[in-house]
Amino acid sequence: MLDDIEALKKEIENYTISTEEELEAFRLEFLSRKGKIQSMFSRMSEVPNEQKAQVGKAMNEVKNFAQETFDAAQKKLEREETADLKATDDISLPAPPYAPGSFHPLTQTMEEMKNIFYRLGFSIADGPEVEDDFHNFTALNFPPNHPARDEQDTFFVRKDDDPDVDDLVMRTHTSPVQIRLMQKQEPPIRTIMPGRVYRNEAVSPKSYFLFHQVEALYIDTDVSIAELKETLISFVKLMFGKDVKYRLRPGFFPFTEPSLEMDIWWEPAHKKEGKWLEILGSGMVDPNVLKAVDIDPEKYTGFAWGMGVERIAMLRHQIDDIRVFYENDVRFLKQFN
Amino acid sequence: MNISYNWLKELIDLELSPQETAEKLTLIGLEVEEVTSHGNKLEGVVVGEVLDVNEHSNADRLVVCQVDIGTEEVQIVCGADNVAAGQKVPVATVGSALPPKNEGDDPFTIREAKLRGEESKGMICAEDELQLGDDHSGIMVLDEELKAGTPLYEAIDLYQDSIIEIEITPNRPDATCHLGVARDLAAALDLELNKPFSTEFDDQAPLNEIDIEIKAPEKCHRYVGKMVKDVTIEESPAWLKNKLEAIGVRPVNNVVDITNYVMFELGQPLHAFDADTIKGNKIAVKDFEEEITFETLDHVERKCSAGTLFICDAEEPVAIAGVMGGVDSEVSDSTTNVLIESAYFNPGDIRKTAKEQVLQSDSSYRFERGIDPQLQRIAAERAAELIANVANGQIVDACTDVHPQKTEATELPLRKSYVNKLLGTDFTTDEINSILNGLEFELLNQDDDVLTYKIPTFRPDLEREVDLIEEVGRLFDYNNIPTPEHGKFISPEPLTDWEQLVSQAKEVAKGMRFREIYSNSLMPDKDAKLLGELDNMIHTLNPISTDMTTLRPSLLYGFLTSVAYNFNRKVNQVRFFEIGNVFERSESGTYHKGIKEETNILFGLAGFKTIEHWKTEAEHYDVFDLKAPVRSFLQQLGVYQAITASANSNNRLCYTYDGTELGHLYEVDEEMREKYDFELPAFVAEFSLTKIHKARQKITQKGYEAVSKFPSFEFDFAVIVDRSVKAGTLLKSIEETAGESLKELDVFDVFEGESLGENKKSIAFRLSFLDKNKTLTIKDVEPIINKVLKVLEKEYSAKLRS
Repeated sequence: MLDDIEALKKEIENYTISTEEELEAFRLEFLSRKGKIQSMFSRMSEVPNEQKAQVGKAMNEVKNFAQETFDAAQKKLEREETADLKATDDISLPAPPYAPGSFHPLTQTMEEMKNIFYRLGFSIADGPEVEDDFHNFTALNFPPNHPARDEQDTFFVRKDDDPDVDDLVMRTHTSPVQIRLMQKQEPPIRTIMPGRVYRNEAVSPKSYFLFHQVEALYIDTDVSIAELKETLISFVKLMFGKDVKYRLRPGFFPFTEPSLEMDIWWEPAHKKEGKWLEILGSGMVDPNVLKAVDIDPEKYTGFAWGMGVERIAMLRHQIDDIRVFYENDVRFLKQFN
Repeated sequence: MNISYNWLKELIDLELSPQETAEKLTLIGLEVEEVTSHGNKLEGVVVGEVLDVNEHSNADRLVVCQVDIGTEEVQIVCGADNVAAGQKVPVATVGSALPPKNEGDDPFTIREAKLRGEESKGMICAEDELQLGDDHSGIMVLDEELKAGTPLYEAIDLYQDSIIEIEITPNRPDATCHLGVARDLAAALDLELNKPFSTEFDDQAPLNEIDIEIKAPEKCHRYVGKMVKDVTIEESPAWLKNKLEAIGVRPVNNVVDITNYVMFELGQPLHAFDADTIKGNKIAVKDFEEEITFETLDHVERKCSAGTLFICDAEEPVAIAGVMGGVDSEVSDSTTNVLIESAYFNPGDIRKTAKEQVLQSDSSYRFERGIDPQLQRIAAERAAELIANVANGQIVDACTDVHPQKTEATELPLRKSYVNKLLGTDFTTDEINSILNGLEFELLNQDDDVLTYKIPTFRPDLEREVDLIEEVGRLFDYNNIPTPEHGKFISPEPLTDWEQLVSQAKEVAKGMRFREIYSNSLMPDKDAKLLGELDNMIHTLNPISTDMTTLRPSLLYGFLTSVAYNFNRKVNQVRFFEIGNVFERSESGTYHKGIKEETNILFGLAGFKTIEHWKTEAEHYDVFDLKAPVRSFLQQLGVYQAITASANSNNRLCYTYDGTELGHLYEVDEEMREKYDFELPAFVAEFSLTKIHKARQKITQKGYEAVSKFPSFEFDFAVIVDRSVKAGTLLKSIEETAGESLKELDVFDVFEGESLGENKKSIAFRLSFLDKNKTLTIKDVEPIINKVLKVLEKEYSAKLRS
């Protein structure tokens, strides 16, 4: 008898209930009046008295087990029924578009430069984009007949025959901000000047009539080429990675003497051969510039350097046409999310 | 400028390869653009002996030759008329590659072939096929004495060179010739500079044959005339042609070639006149008060403005000074007597003329930059000697040297201490001196710290001590300067409020899912007109094109063009922001009198807020989609609570602080959208960050306030008012009346309908009250509400809607 009870328990265990029909079949087979459990109880009379207690307990256990199995299966089926309600209750459906905001790639490059300079202890200054001849040229030691002063190269906003009225131009570099800063602040000065500048140039994939620069200026009692070199090297390592290969070579600018340019070795991913690429111009601030802002060149020396933001952004993202920066095509911008 | 490596090697004992030389030049400030090889070794082309020539059975024009090429006897089919047995000829053997006809093409490789049935193993070459000349009339016939099998490059002089292209900065006129470049290299590499010419001459009487006079001594500082007689004008010898061709100069004839040679050697532009064409045996250097028309060597009639400097004979101009000679006086095949002109012209005048004529010759290029004012006699004598040599002429001993403006070498003091201060080095006097001596700077005097140098006249760029320091630095090589062992610690200054505001504004905009754009600050007049009065705007005097004449008075133009650009490309969900400077006229001005320049920020929405999606319907943006982030922006900048927004019309909201307009928010009207050719709605909010910055400095920022322990009490009511009454006005009135316990106020329903009466609307408000010290009940709030309703009724005839 006990073996039969055990066999019945196995049978219940192995019964699969996945539909309403099977659930009903299970009830009829085991739990109904004519079911297997009931008929098991009706055989109680056959059990010898001394075993009655033991068998009765086992029978009750199997009855409860059958009932629990039925209840659990019924609940599960009910849940499944409600879970299967709507086609839209499908977590794999795509969420509606939610485009992020983004910074322009030029802002991204410029911010990165600024952050490097902040780490090197520089602060930041800005000035107007419409600038007078004094700040843009004269104070920066541009000789009167320098080609940059020509209409071919520079946008003029005001030209006056009266020599006391300074010409106004769209600034051709951010260096006039250096002049403004030195005019109002005593050294030490350790500042960068980012901003938009203008050149009267034909538009092509390589040049645009406006672009952005970041310049740096450091004036103190004891600044030399050695410090300039150290700062330049720190900068390129932070900007391009500490294994960057670089070189310095002489350059020529009106506002620095000596003047230097820096190249980095550039190996674009898709090209076989690397080459030296000029990334910035620099030098020791020309004594004439210091004199123009009443700083004593015997007491103070300093360095300045500048670089084009577009040029570096193009390099890093392998962009070959400068004009894409100003088209504001969302398909371009969203690549810089 | 092209520099020949071979030529450099004649001037210094250079052991570096062309590539190494280029690298060194770059590092000392003569930046090399490119190194290219000139000439071809013609590997695999050998001397062949034609043993036998037979007719080709299948082609009239071809012959079949048996040729001994040293290693073997081969059969070659040839098409030239002049091939004959016994000749020595150049043979391109099988496998050799001939230089391509056009630069950039692949070389032509010789293969075994059958030509009309006859086998051919190689090619007998004409001059042009080897690029040794232009001759294609027949095969090249070589010297009979040559041995078959000898490589051609051993048999004849095949000229090869490496050409180093240097970009000369405007401060280095001395480096526009081989001597100057060699001098820099010699100084950097510590080599001797060999000068293959004399620099010292006896004084000579002026030429008898021609009288030379300078009538414009300001424009012509010196004019040296030297003559060579009885010359034979012919093609230049190979050495001369090779050198010039290598640096890209086309040989003309022996006399002209020498004048060019000396210019590229010493940097002095020369001009050779046919002396017999000089009328009246007189040369006058002068300018004119009127415009002159003159035909130059290149057969162009040129109009030269008054003041242009000319070289004239007794009757008329014969050359534009320093720029180009004239047709009538040029050296021709029939020339027998040559007058060499070697002059110094004022750089500024030549620059002006060259620019006016849009003509930069090798000569004007050098004069413009300023040549060595002491070089004229040396160059004239050098040229005379070489011309006498290559053209078989007789040098006239006499030499005219008119020299009204003399330039003497200058002296410059140099402090060792200042050199080391500026370069961060630790040079001794000897080390400095050794570098500068290499550049031919003569040490005149040494006094403790101060070295006094005589600066040669070929370096007009060196005027100050600091210029000399640059010479020391560049020749030492900046890469060799040690960086400091211990960096200085600098305590940085805090970022300015302005910088913090701008970067915060950017971050906030990005955080609210706006995409940053960069647009043009210059715009067309026709677009500027849509934004206001042109007279109030700033314009460039020399715009590149009519598209870029006006400085933007607002960022709107950039937004609209960017919207149109994207809509045209089927991108019709636009959410942009831009930060940039805007310009307009103003009496006082920002930095400059008359010009206001401020930094603005623009937020713009256009097109679809949502697209057709299983979750959303396609829906356009509306004005409140912009008003919400703008409020958030002003809140995050900490200025919102002090700003008043008032609607001055139904689609334009004006934000002010203390009477100053900070910005606007509006819908771009249909007329404007039509101009930019799009239909979908667009909304713009533009603020002056400059003004927000000023306002923010005045607004006291609220400090921390403990959160009330008690719950707030909410009360709703609706009023019926005339349709013309603005919600904003009512809100302002409620706020002012309710007092401090009112913490939040919003509108939760707006309704209009016939049931309300004609021209009426209902606005439902939700007010939230809070007290720090107790839980508010209706008893506390009721009096406030009653007061509010009274005011609303009195001021705006608002009726409570029950």
